[in-house]
Formats: sequence, structure tokens, C-alpha cells
Amino acid sequence: MRDLLDGALRASRADYTEIRVERTWATGVSFRGRRLETASASEDVGGCVRVLSKGHGWGVAAFTSLRQVPAMIERAQELSRAIVLDEPIRLADVTPQTAEALLDLDGDVRGISLAEKTRLIEAYNGEMLAVSGDITDTIANYHDEVTEYWFVNSEGTSLHELRPEVTLSGTAIARKNGTIEKSLESIGLRKGWNSVHMYADGFKKAGERASQLLRAPTVRGGNYPVILDPEMAGVFIHEAFGHLSEADFVYENPQAREMMTLGRRFGRKVLNVGDNGAAPGLRGTMPFDDEGVPTQDSVLIREGVLVGRLHSRETAARMGERPTGNARALSFRHPPIVRMTNTYIGNGEGTFEDLIKDVKLGVYACSAFGGQTMLESFSFTAAYGYMIRDGHVAELVKDVVLAGNLFQTLDRIERIAGDFQWNQIGGGCGKAGQAYLAVTEGAPHVRIEDALVGGDVA
Amino acid sequence: MIPAALEALKKAADAGDACWRRSERTTIAFESGRLKSAGVVEESGLNIRVLKDGKVGVAGTTATDAPPSDVVARALASAALGEPLAIEFPSSSKFSAVSTESKSATSASVGTLADIGRGLVERLSRPDAQINVVVEREVAELTIGNTAGGQGTYRATGVSVGADIARVSENDVLMIYDELTGVGLPTSEDLDFLVDSIKTRLELALKIVDPPSGSLPVVFSPMGLQAILLPLKEALSGKTLVQGISPLQGKTGEPVFAEGLSITDDPTLADRPASYPFDDEGVPARRLPLIDCGTPRGFVYDLETAARLGGSQRSTGHGHRGVFGKPHLGYSNLIVGTTPGPSRWSFGGGLLDGIRDGLLVDDLIGVGQGNVIGGAFSHPVALAYRIQNGKITGRVKDAAVAGNVYDLLKKLGAWGNDGRWVRTRWSPSLLLEGVSVAGR
Repeated sequence: MRDLLDGALRASRADYTEIRVERTWATGVSFRGRRLETASASEDVGGCVRVLSKGHGWGVAAFTSLRQVPAMIERAQELSRAIVLDEPIRLADVTPQTAEALLDLDGDVRGISLAEKTRLIEAYNGEMLAVSGDITDTIANYHDEVTEYWFVNSEGTSLHELRPEVTLSGTAIARKNGTIEKSLESIGLRKGWNSVHMYADGFKKAGERASQLLRAPTVRGGNYPVILDPEMAGVFIHEAFGHLSEADFVYENPQAREMMTLGRRFGRKVLNVGDNGAAPGLRGTMPFDDEGVPTQDSVLIREGVLVGRLHSRETAARMGERPTGNARALSFRHPPIVRMTNTYIGNGEGTFEDLIKDVKLGVYACSAFGGQTMLESFSFTAAYGYMIRDGHVAELVKDVVLAGNLFQTLDRIERIAGDFQWNQIGGGCGKAGQAYLAVTEGAPHVRIEDALVGGDVA
Repeated sequence: MIPAALEALKKAADAGDACWRRSERTTIAFESGRLKSAGVVEESGLNIRVLKDGKVGVAGTTATDAPPSDVVARALASAALGEPLAIEFPSSSKFSAVSTESKSATSASVGTLADIGRGLVERLSRPDAQINVVVEREVAELTIGNTAGGQGTYRATGVSVGADIARVSENDVLMIYDELTGVGLPTSEDLDFLVDSIKTRLELALKIVDPPSGSLPVVFSPMGLQAILLPLKEALSGKTLVQGISPLQGKTGEPVFAEGLSITDDPTLADRPASYPFDDEGVPARRLPLIDCGTPRGFVYDLETAARLGGSQRSTGHGHRGVFGKPHLGYSNLIVGTTPGPSRWSFGGGLLDGIRDGLLVDDLIGVGQGNVIGGAFSHPVALAYRIQNGKITGRVKDAAVAGNVYDLLKKLGAWGNDGRWVRTRWSPSLLLEGVSVAGR
């Protein structure tokens, strides 16, 4: 492969050329209720060439036939030449890297039979179904993959990596007297077969919670002090703030640049936020990004003040800042764009109990179903929640939807506990047609002074 | 590729089908008004399904240098674990012609595509906002074949032109988006429509007004209608019938909704990117009324959901299929409210007169999250306008709308005169009374 890629690089007449090639072996098993929906294996092979020449734009050619590499270099050059730029694209300087980064496959999933994988997820699915007669339906998915990855560029970077990934997920659907509730369990690991055997309890809990939610009241809409569990807090910081720190949102937009001026205060002293692509063993972890730049821990908010943002080589050069190793591509079908890796709210002090002991009436929002932001406005649906009454966790409530304005809400984060955890869950992040990219979020419990909780909105 | 795959299938399996897809997609992207990159993706892949000892298995690959027998072997391993399923493969090999291809798309050069984008950037430019435009052209070829003798092939083109404009001032971020889709290049009328849509919606959004509150008349624009239609799309799917969770189960022939509500799925419409002569499982395409004047008439099925309902139903030709995974059920062109025709830009679709105080909803946040199938929705607005005394008075922020689709659609206000395509869905605006609106 190296020879093929080096030969193609030499043939390119562009000022900058890079080639990425990926070969991914994947298997997926999915159950719906007691029924096996699919158990299948696939192989996905392809590459992407990206070239840049002075005075011209990016030419990008992606392909599934590796025989086409030389033709695709030619194609990318044609596309690049078709774009004439007055203001040239520059790439921030980086040291060329050479690495054989073969991650530990932790029990190579390619050596395990489809039948064995099916038995595993069937057992987890069974944990949900066995909870009670309330559980009328379930969805349980197993997915694994191993990707072999090559990256070379005309500056001398040459990388060869092997990356494992496993995700497990379960949805328990409970039904009684016309009411339907669901509850989720999700696990995502940059690991292999050795690490997937200890999750029965989580699936069982998902079943129990769905059943309990049938009897839980809808939260009464209104403004409350809200405590986010580490999962909700992680999803919040990723969706509501993380995307604004991606430099491609601001680098060619003077107004957005002003909004995201370094030094601007976004929160109180307790708030620290960052993105760490080098944190060991997480789904967003890679030794290098898809431009061959080493990943790092980038601090975005320090003690409430904006101090950094996430870059590709292009956005870094344009803004006169340093690349951060955040240029990522979903697959060979896409060029790299600025993305998050493992995004976190830094640890605070004290326990969850300390956070709630002086809350007279509040909401504890747990585990996210999903979230959407329209830049400054956001809406997040918690999978479930509890009322907090007189300093204690009280009854289970459902339909907990947090909505609000990002800037106000960040500023209202008043206390952060010292119980940080990475949320090793599945799913991922979508941006610019590239969904879903493996990312991780981490956070401790977080208290928001005052937030709008929609249940019954009217 | 297909004959070799069928040969391997006949040797190793009891029955099966294969789908081969080749596509080339060209993308021209203007970022903040500047053309900075052009890209092409050339892709081909093979998806195979086998039936062995009454069980179904699937496998897919883009590694097309490997022989099809490898993929068949993987599909057999998948079938060994599968549940018994009596899928019957269709034997059709003659299909009514459906126009899915345009010379204007296949012959367009990168320069032509870039000119379309550049023209839009020039027309939409304004000093206080950033403009992004993406022009995409796809040329694809799909071939299917099965062991029952069914076979077919067709070429399809698709062009999409999307533009968004973002205006940031202080802590207010306003984003307006619209997109044209067709099998060929957009006409100058199409481009005028896009420009009018974005300009009108932007200009009316510059002024921010207080949201109204209470049970109010709400106009859902064709784009804003998504939240209302999503529960119906789930309820009309054979998949939710198989699961036993469709609220419309057993309701065919009964008047469930107001008379004004009609929904049809039509894959045979000429020159729409979601049209096809046969679906990805080789079942001939046909027009399918789903709700007729308020009364549910049918559901969409693919081969699997039809088989799971024990032969009481046949596939309606709504099987969709990628390179990976098994075929799944989906809609083609969903036609809601009025008959498709040329679009004329009109904001509010003539429905604003007579509304003393209400809301026009163009985009909501979080559609699809939560418990969609039950019909209840509750969403903050992403883009909405206040209507006062028959006129739009400004943009509303920090408001939310809520209701239950099954209650709201028992009484329709009216359909607008602004029917248009939003990707694969045709509809005009819809006025609904008594939608719960909450301001903050």
C-alpha cells in the first residue's frame, strides 16, 4: 500500500497533496423484541485524495476502487484548477509525522464468529425483556469494526494505523393503557471483544426505568434550578458550546468572530471546558487527526473565560493560531473538517449531595435522548429526571426537555461537582453531512441556577 | 457484476437478490461567499440477500475487487442466524418508464455548476451576513436482479442547490436556509424562487417581536410542516404495523382526520430525484394513496414487512437499500394537501388574512426527538414569525409550540396556495387552529 501511495504522491503536480485510504471490516447484529432483525458483516474500502495549488482551491476526489488512485490524483488536480482564488488558502505549518500506530485491538473482533456476537447481544436484549410484562418491545444493537488506515502527504507525513471500535445499545419500550415510554442504554468503546462482557446490568436497568416511567408524572413546565448528570452535562457542552468553538464557524465570519473573541467571559469561575483528542482509550481518541496533525488537550474555557478554539490547518493559518489536531473526516468519502474529539467540562469540587442540599425545588435531568442546537438556542431531551425537593432526590418524572439560550445558560452554571466521568456511550456527532462521527463527552454533575424545563408548555 | 452475483447465489443459496449501485457525486461549495473547494465521490458497491433453509441473510461490500462469491458466503453466515421469513422475490423484468434522468445534469461541467452557485452568492450577498452555497450533482446507476428472474436497471440524476445565510449580531444568530432539488439543473424561475424565499424570510426576521401566548392559529410553512407529518409517516409505515404500534392500525376506511387531509406516495412522478421505475428490491413502482380526504387507505410495505404480515399484504414498492445492511422501508415522493405543479413563492400561502394574532412556523428544534408515534409534539421554535392582524410583524424567539397531531388534524384551517417541494415532500402551508404557543 505504501508503495502505491508514495508513487501516486510523486506523480502529483499540485503544491500540496494528501491521500487517505481506509479498509473497514464491520459487523452488526440487531434485535427487535425477540426477533433477530439482522446479523451481517460488511467490508468498506476506499480512499480520498485532496490537493491544493497556489492561487487555486481544494480539489477533492473520493473513490471505492483503489486501482483508481493515480486517476483520482489527476481528477482532484482538475477540480482544484477549476477554482481560482484571489486570496490563497494557506495551511499552518506542522512537523511531518511518521508513525506505525497500531492500537491494541483488545480481542480482535474479526476473529469472533457472527453467532457469538449474536448470542452476546441477545443476552443483553433478554435482560430488558425479562424485566416485566410492561416491556412490550425492545431494540438491541451490536456493532463492531476494525479500520486499517493509511495517510500520506507531500510534506513527508506517513501514517499507518489500526483502530478498533465497539458499540452496544438497547432501547426498552414499555406500554400500558395507551401510554408508551422508552429508556436507553448505550455503550461505545475504542476497544474490542475483551471489553464487551460486563454490561448486562445496564440493559436491565434500562428495562426497569422504562417500566417505572409508565407510572411517572410528566414534569411540570417552568423555571427551576436544574442539576445535569454527567451525561446531560456532556451532551450540553458538546452541542451548545463545542460547535461554536469549531474555528470553521468563525474564521470567515467577522460577526461570529466577534461573538467568539478570545478573552470573552462565557461563564463563572467554576467553568472549565476543553477538548482532548489524546485522552487514552476514548471513542474520539486518535493519535493524529485526518491531516496528520497530532491530537492534544485543548482548553477552550478557563475559569469562565474563552481561551481557545478547535482548528484544522487551514482555519489555524487563517486566524494566526496553532492547529489543534481537530480536522476529522467521517470516512474516506469526505474531506476532513473541524470536529470535536472528546469534549469535557472540567472537574469541580464536592459531591452530588453537596450540589443539591440547598435546592428547595429543582429538577435532576439524567441521560440524554438527544439534543439540537440552532447556534444560540438549544433543546435537550433528558431520558428521565427526578424532582429535587428540600435537598433530596424525590420522585421520577418524565418528558424533561431543557430549552434555552446558550449564553444565558452557560452563565448560570453556578456549581460543578468533583465527580467527573467520561461517558462511554455510542451515537456520535453530525455536521455538514458527515454523521455520525465517534466522539466522547465527559463532565461531572453540574448545577444551573435557573433553566426552563418544558413538560407541559402551555 | 449482477450476473456473476446471481450465479454465485444460485449455486449456494435457495434464492436471493442482488443490488449493484454506482454513483458519481460532484460537490461545489461556496463558503462565506467564496468558492474554495470542489469535490467528487465515485462509489460502487454490491448488496446481496440470500434465502437459505427459509432464513434470510444479507451482506454488502465496496471492495469490488473481491469476487461476488465472497459476499454471498458472508450473506449465508448471516442467514444461518436469521429467523425464518417467507420472502417472495418479484419476477418482474418489464417496468413502466419513469423519467429519472436529465441530460442537463449529466452534461453540466464543473464550471456550469460553479456558475449557478456564484450567481446565487451575488444575488444573496449583504454586508451584515455570510452566505454559504452548495451545488451538488449526482449521476447514479442501479441494477437489481434476483433468482426469480426479476431484473432491471436504470440511471438517475439529481441536482441540489442549497443556500444558507447567517447573520450574527450581538447574541442573536439568525440562519435562513432553502434548497432546490430536481433531476436536472434548476431553471431561472427555480433560482428566483430560492432567492425570494431566502430574502423574504430574512428581511421579515430582522425585527424581533414578543411571542404571543395561548391556544392560537398557527401557519406551518411547507418546511415547518415536518413536525406535523412525522407521526403520520411513522403510523403509515408497514414497519410500525408489524410492531403493532401504529395508531392507524385497523383504521383504514374510517374517517380519522378532517376531510381536507390527503396524503399520497408517488414514485412514478416524472423528473423527481426520489422517483423510480422499480424499488431497490425490484418491485414495480406505483402511486399509492395513503390518506384520502381524511380517511386512511393504505400503508407502505417492502418485501420483508409484507412477508411478516403473513401474506395478507404485498410490497407496495417501497424497499430502499444501501450497499450495507438489509433493505428497509421508506417513502418516495410524499404528496401532501395539493397536487404537485410549478411553485410560486408566497410567504404564508395566502393564509395570513383573518389571523388577528398567531404564529407562522418555519422551523422547529428537536423534531423527531422523543415519542413521535403517539402524535404529541412540543418544540422550541428555530424560526418563527408573529402574525398580527393578517400581517407578519417580526421574528419570534424563545417560544415553543405544542399539541397532538391526531387532535389538531381533526379540524384543518386551510391549505395555502404556496405548494412546493421540500426535498422529497410536496406540500403547501397549512393553517391549524388551537395550537398551544408558549412564550418565555
